[in-house]
Parts: sequence; C-alpha cells; structure tokens
Amino acid sequence: MNVLARLHSWLKWMVKPRRLENEMDTEVRFHLESYAADLVRNGVSEQEAMRRARIEFGGVESHKDAMRASLGQRFWSELLVDLRYGGRMLRKNPGFAAIAVASLALGIGANTAIFTLAKAALLDTLSVPHPDQLRLLTWTQDHRSLVSSIWGDFYPDGNGRAVVASFSYPVYEQLRRNHALGDLFAFKEVIVGRGRLTATIDDQPTTVTGELVSGNYFAGFGVGTVLGRPIEPADDVVAGAPVAVISNAFWERSFGRSPAVIGKTIKLNLIPVTIVGVAPPGFTGASHVEVSPDVFLPMSTQPVIVPRETGSILADPEIWWVQVMGRLQPGISESAARASLALTLDQAVRATMTVPKDATLPSLSLSPGGRGWLSYEDRQLEQPSSILLVLAGLVLLLACANIANLLLARSAARQREMSVRIALGASKARIVRQMLTENLMLSMLGGIAGLALGYVGRDAIPRLLLSKWGSEPFASRFDWRVFAFTMVISAFSGLLFGVGPAWQATRAVVNAGLKDSAATATRRSKGFAGKTLVIVQVSLCMLLLVGAGLFVRTLANLASVDTGFRPKGILLFAISPPKQRYPAPKNTEVLHQIEEAIAALPGVKSVALSADPLIAQTASNDGFFPDNQPDGQPPKTGREQFVMSNSVGQNFFATMGIPVLYGRAFDFRDTPTSPKVAIINRALARKEFAGTNPVGKTFTTDEKDRYEIIGVSDDAKYADMRDDPPPTFYVLYLQQKDDREDMTFEVRTSGDPAGAVGAIRSAVQTVDKDLPLIDVRTQSEQIESSLAPERIFATLAAGFGALALILASIGVYGIMAQTVARRVNEIGVRMALGAPARQVLVMILRETSWLAVIGIGAGLGAALLLTRFLSSMLFGLKPTDPLTLTFAAVLLFVIAMLAGWGPARRASLIQPMQALRHE
Amino acid sequence: MAKPVDLLQGTLDMLILKAVSLGPLHGYGILLRIQQISGKRLEIQQGSLYPALYRLEHQGLIAGEWGESDNKRKAKFYNLTAAGRRQLHSETEKWKRMADLIAGILRTTPEEI
Repeated sequence: MNVLARLHSWLKWMVKPRRLENEMDTEVRFHLESYAADLVRNGVSEQEAMRRARIEFGGVESHKDAMRASLGQRFWSELLVDLRYGGRMLRKNPGFAAIAVASLALGIGANTAIFTLAKAALLDTLSVPHPDQLRLLTWTQDHRSLVSSIWGDFYPDGNGRAVVASFSYPVYEQLRRNHALGDLFAFKEVIVGRGRLTATIDDQPTTVTGELVSGNYFAGFGVGTVLGRPIEPADDVVAGAPVAVISNAFWERSFGRSPAVIGKTIKLNLIPVTIVGVAPPGFTGASHVEVSPDVFLPMSTQPVIVPRETGSILADPEIWWVQVMGRLQPGISESAARASLALTLDQAVRATMTVPKDATLPSLSLSPGGRGWLSYEDRQLEQPSSILLVLAGLVLLLACANIANLLLARSAARQREMSVRIALGASKARIVRQMLTENLMLSMLGGIAGLALGYVGRDAIPRLLLSKWGSEPFASRFDWRVFAFTMVISAFSGLLFGVGPAWQATRAVVNAGLKDSAATATRRSKGFAGKTLVIVQVSLCMLLLVGAGLFVRTLANLASVDTGFRPKGILLFAISPPKQRYPAPKNTEVLHQIEEAIAALPGVKSVALSADPLIAQTASNDGFFPDNQPDGQPPKTGREQFVMSNSVGQNFFATMGIPVLYGRAFDFRDTPTSPKVAIINRALARKEFAGTNPVGKTFTTDEKDRYEIIGVSDDAKYADMRDDPPPTFYVLYLQQKDDREDMTFEVRTSGDPAGAVGAIRSAVQTVDKDLPLIDVRTQSEQIESSLAPERIFATLAAGFGALALILASIGVYGIMAQTVARRVNEIGVRMALGAPARQVLVMILRETSWLAVIGIGAGLGAALLLTRFLSSMLFGLKPTDPLTLTFAAVLLFVIAMLAGWGPARRASLIQPMQALRHE
Repeated sequence: MAKPVDLLQGTLDMLILKAVSLGPLHGYGILLRIQQISGKRLEIQQGSLYPALYRLEHQGLIAGEWGESDNKRKAKFYNLTAAGRRQLHSETEKWKRMADLIAGILRTTPEEI
C-alpha cells in the first residue's frame, strides 16, 4: 500500500519512543475514564464503573503491545532486546567471542583484500560521470584485412581474428561528423622508450607517461580541471608552443601541489611544453582504471613530441593508431548508433585508402568503454583474480565451519535456557530470530574487524605486483563497493554458520531440557553434526594446501629454471635518444658513444646493449629465409618462417654469459660498413640446419636484408622464464638502419651492480646531459619482477593454506575435546575395568585419525576435480602432481593428529574414581 | 436484543473508516458510533479497537490529531485522509459485490439449476 506513509510513520515513532508511550497511555486512559463516566451516568458506582471499564477494555499491556506492532515498532524493540542480550552473552564468554571474531576477521579480511584487488581487475570503472554510457569503437581484423599497419594493442577474439581499437587519424576526423554517439573523442597512450617520454623538469632529466588526446576529450568525459584549463578544441590545431594538462598525482609528485605550476614550461622529448591545467584526483585518463598518465597532450603535438618514422601521422591514412570513444545518446539505441557509425567508417575507409579487390574492410563494433581500453595485461588479471577470490572464499568457509562448530557446542550448553524460553511461551520463530541476531552480531563484529584488516592490507597486494623501479603508483580504491562486499559476506557467513545451530536450538525438548541428564537424548546426532563439519573443514583445508603447494612449487620451479645466461652482477637500464635530436643514423652513433663511455669506467667488466632486454616480457620477431636451400628445395616463405630476433651490441654474448658454440661472437671486425652478420641460437640451428653446419650460410629477413651466419650460440630464455628458448637470431645494432626508440644496456660490473649507477649516470651525461637512465635495475631484479604474479600467488596461497591449517586444527581440537568431555564417564568405566591409559590414548587418537583420513580423502577428490582449472598457471608440474598431493595429505594428517593429541592425552589421564563421581 | 454477531475478519477496519468518514472522532467516540450505527448488534472488545486504529494511521488511511473533547479533556481525534476515503470506497464496492454474490447463491432454488 502506501509505503511512504508507513515509512514516515515508522520513522516518526522510531525516533520518539517515549512520546509514543505517553500518547498510548493518554489515549487508553481517556477511553477508560470516558467509558467509566458514561457508566456512572447510568447509575453505576464510581469504583464499580472503573472496574467494569477495565474488564471490558481487556489487557491494557497486551493491547499496547499490539498497538506498537501496528506501527511496526515491535520488531525493533525486540531487536534491541535481542542485541542487548546477545551482547551480554558475548561478554559472558569472552574466549568464545574472541576466537569467533578473530577467525572471522581473518577470513573476511582476506576476502576484503582480495576483493579490493579483484575489483580493480574486474569491476572498477573510470571515475568520470556516467561511465556506463561510454562506448569504445573497435573492429575485428582478419588475415585479409585492408589495414596492415597498427600502432597499438589488440587481442584475439577467440575465432582466429583480432579485436583492434585503433583508427587512423583521417578516419577519426570523418567519424566525428557522425553524432550517433555524440561528439566522438580520441586518445592514444604514448608508447615510446619503455612506455615513457623523456622529460626535463627544472633541468633534471626524468621520464613521464603520456596520453595524446583530442580537443573534445575532457568535454567528452565531462571532466574539468582542478587548476587551469583542460585541453580544448582550439588545441586541435597547432598554435605556438605545445601545451599539456598534468595529472593530479604527477602534480603532487613533481611539483608539490604548487599552484605556480600553471604556465610553467617543462621539456618533453626535448620540446618545451607549457602546463596549462591540472586534472582532478581520481581521473585516470581513458586507458587504465588504476593509473593515470602523467601528462595529457593535444593530438596536434604528435608530430613534434612523438614523431614516427615519417614525422607526422595525423594525415597518414595507412597507420591506425588512435582510440575513439563516444557516449550513448538519449533516443538513439546502441545498435542504431553502431549501424550508423559502421556506414560512416566504411565511407571513411574508402575515401582515405585504396581498397584492393579481395581485402576486407574493418567491421565496426562497440564495446563498453566504462573501464577504459583494457590492455592485454589488464585482461590477463581476470583469471588470477577470480582464482584468488575462490581461495579466499574457501578460507572464509573454513572459518564459518569453525564458528558453526563452536555454536553447536554452545547450543548444547544452552539447551536449558531454550527449554525455559519455550516453556514460558516463546515461539520457535522467535527463538530462531534471537539466535540469528546473536550470530549476525558476531559476524558483523568479525566483518568490522575484517574490514579494518583489509583496509590496512589494501595496498600490500598491489605493492607486490609493482616492479621495484616502476614509477607508477597503484592506488587500489577502497570504496563503498568494498564496504558493501564485506558487509554482505559478513551477513552471509553469519547466516551460514548460524542457521544450523539456531535450528537445533528450537529442537530443545521442554521436558527433557529441564531435567539434568537430558543431554543423553540427542547426544548421537549432535556429535554427528560436529564431526561432519570438522570433516568438511579438513577437506577444505586439504584443497587449500594442495593449491598452495602447486603455486609454491611453480614459483620454485620457475626461479630455479636454467636461463641459459648468467644473470648475477648485471645492471640494466634503457636509454631512449629522442628523435628530434638524434634522427637515424645519429641514434645508433650516440648509443655507441655511450657504450664506449661506460666500457671505459673502472669496475665495468663489459657492456652490451640489446633492443629487447631478457626476461622482460618483450621480444621482437622477423622472417628467417635461408638462401641456397640444399637439394634444390624451393625458398621458404610465409608466416611459419617467423622466428625471434634481437638486435644486440658486440659484447652481448660475453656480457650475458651465453656461450658461443660454433663459429665466433661479434667483434671489432663487425662495423656499420662491414658485411652484415648474424648469430643464431641452437634451437634455430636445429630447426633450419639440422645436421649441417650453419656457419658461413646466409639468410634474408623481411626487409630483404641478407646476413651471413658467423656463429651458433647456446640457447637462452628470451621473453620470460616459462617458455623454452625460442629459435632466435641475433644481429648487431650497429648494422641496423631502423630507428628503435630505445635500447637496454647490460653492464657487467666487478662489484655490486647497484654501486656503479652513479658513475654510469655521469658517463651518460658526458655524452648528453638530457638523457635519463630509464628503469635502472639489475638483471636478477628483472627476473624476480617477471615472476611477480607467480610470487603473489605462491605467497597468498601459502598464507591461505597456513590460515586453513590453523582453523582446521582448531576445529579438530574442539571436536575432540568435546568428545572426550562427553565420554568422561565411559572412559572412567573402561579404566576402572582395567583399560591401560595407553589404550585410551590410542582409542581417542584413532577417532581423530578417522576424521582426518575421511576429510583428507574428500579433499583429495575435490582437488583432483578442481586443480585442472589451475593448469595454465602452473610450471614444471601437473595439476595432479603426486608429490604435492602426498605432501599436503601428510602435513594435514600430522597437524590433525597433533591437534587431537591434547584431548587424547587428557582422556588418558582421567582418574577412574573422579570420572565415575563426575555425574 | 439479538445475540451480538462476531466481527468478520477485516471488517473492523472498514467499520472504523466508515465511522470516521462521518466526522472526526476520538477512539471512544468511534466505539460508540459503531455501536450506535450497528444498533449494538456487533460485539467489539473495546481494547482491540486501538491496534486497528494505529494500523490504519500507520497506513496513512486515517490521521490522528490531538484536540479537546466535549468534557474539556485532551483526546486524540481521527480524520479520514484522502487515501482512506478511496480505500473506504473500494472496500464498500467490494463488500457490496460480495454480498450480492453470496445472496444470489443462497437464493438459488432447485428449479433454477
């Protein structure tokens, strides 16, 4: 009916309980007195009138109760009573309350922390108004696609095609004329030199991350600035010096939140740029949800600040690189907008590019843009996050089982109280409600403690993910959703562990409950419920231990895997000579100068550089077409001839410690002007030259460059620790014409690599004072950071496993202690009849072992079923690794027996005479 | 006087709405009005009137207001709200349809079947 009226009336009385009581009293008194007065008028005596009035009115108190119920107030007053009573019960049993709240806090805290992490990977949206309206324009690319030159990320769609979100700038300009998704805005995360721009702030060289944005970008997001102005449509055309808006975090980090930053000039890739505005906190740009680019630059600055091979690509229809976003408009359905934009895209492509007969045109689709353009790495977080959520959920389940067990034991002890309540007329529903209120109180206490734990630990996990040298602060947002999640799982666990005991409480039999020896009546079933719970706990614990074992062994396997090179004592850093100052081939020359300057330093054993550092999730590939195939075989062509390649310095093999097996390594004979030479690794030699000596043979690459093979090196891991060394060839960077944005230096030092950084930095600055060392780290740190996901998994899974062990052993201890307490009498009889203490000990331990064995068996079964979902994350072992399973089973069994030892020992120490007198 | 009739479930609410629709009344007044218009043939336990009043007020069908009674005492007077008037109307319609239906069924003679 009228919900508002009810709510209004409920609230009105809720806040003024005293006034309600007064009004009820006044009203009832008025009624009684009026009626009595009427009776007196009819000739009844005054005393008799009041008496009859009261009788005919009925029980004042019960009517008042019904009046309160009419106003919806009774539920709340009863709740208050229940809460007060529950609080008293908790205070009376501080030990119980402490154990329950602590185990819940651990379980809920673990879940809160994991959820905070998973939220970033699964749920978080850009913090802009109405992120749900945002749509990102994407298209699918197949092998006959017209578009062949893409600068940016793409990911496989599962049907052998790729989903791409890049468009050429001319196409974007034509798309903008279509307003089906409002005024389309464009952006491009700038990826140069390890993803950063070289910046000079107050004469200090450093690096920043950047995003190129269209003039309507801030307006399109509906985001302003906290200081100065945003990038505006007028910035779409170059006029005077380039401008930039900086992120709030960068403002804080580099300018100490000084308002004087507006109008300040910094150098980006050596070009002076004026800061005109500061973005609001929380705004992270369009590409990521957690991290903001440091600077937002107008698209029109691309030719000067991030020039490509041809300088400006703003007019280039061939290279597809900008991401385009729009907002759903009222009155235009998503499918209509898509259809309309698809038509415009078709026209735009035909207008800007020549379309060969059999080429496919990009077919447009719209993806939700509220979470930004999810890069491939961001997407890869989804599965691990889900697995962690499951593991944390299992820990919580274990904690709940523990509390349920404690409550079961307690409800047995409270059977008399329940019997009294029922005897006094309490309904079953009322008793269940009271028990549930108590349990929810408990779980909410646990939830609050867990929330606090999760809040304290919220940055711990993201920090594990960060590389030591990464400059990006990762702020996991602790928002209302985390709070809601925690409260929901708290309430849920309260119900989970509370329903069973609450239901059992109502089964209290009044007659039996009030008698002393009543417990005998329901003993069997109660013991059964408790034991089942403990078995469930043991099996959950088994599952978590197996998971922990698998992840720990994966990490150990990865960390001990043979890389094929000697990582110890190598310092890594990247140098990115800006194109404006070092157009090819000057970039190669300056890199060579730096190489020689560093080699001359004392304490430096050798220096190498490579286009791709090792074990850094980066690799290049190229075509490999051997010349003069034996036996007149036709020359090889096609995609299967793609192999890995790396462009390296002369001393690469000596510096990295990769042995050259046949032929020779690069040396002084190989110069920019000498014939091009290459070294191939054993895997490539085996693949292409099985049984013959490759040294002296020649091959050509995609770019039709011909190389002579001068040596064969041993295999070494390339992009990561997981994959086997791929077939790879190495060429000399001095002989390359292509202009890589950056090269990574590998410096082998005689002492501590970190100690040499200062000397190396000044050596680099003697060559060019504007060149910063980017991402300074040791090769060992690089390897360690490449294992960060595995390390997090191993750490968290091991932590969860340990937590599970503790909880399960509390469970086993509890149930066995209870069993022994209940059997004191029986054990006393046994001992009086001559059973030795040892036999009693064995008897109780045997019961424990049954619990453990059944639980471990069930857990093993579950593990065999479930662990295969982890197989893609494991390394060097199967998901059913027998060693891990055995170890987990044995560990769990031993811990369970230890937990059962205490009660068993106590049983064996029972004095028969005391035990028999006990009841 | 005939034997008083027990109240049918749910009819007390309707009676209260009807009584109040004739003008503002306090609780005791409502009791008297119901007895008066029913010719004292309805048996209502006096106290059970109040939970019903509170329920109706809670639902916004009647509105209570403190005022002065005929004998200059403080008393709570109940008024019918607009929502209450609509409710009374629809309840009355429903009741009439129901009564006609039942009456029709009970009037049925063997010949009509």
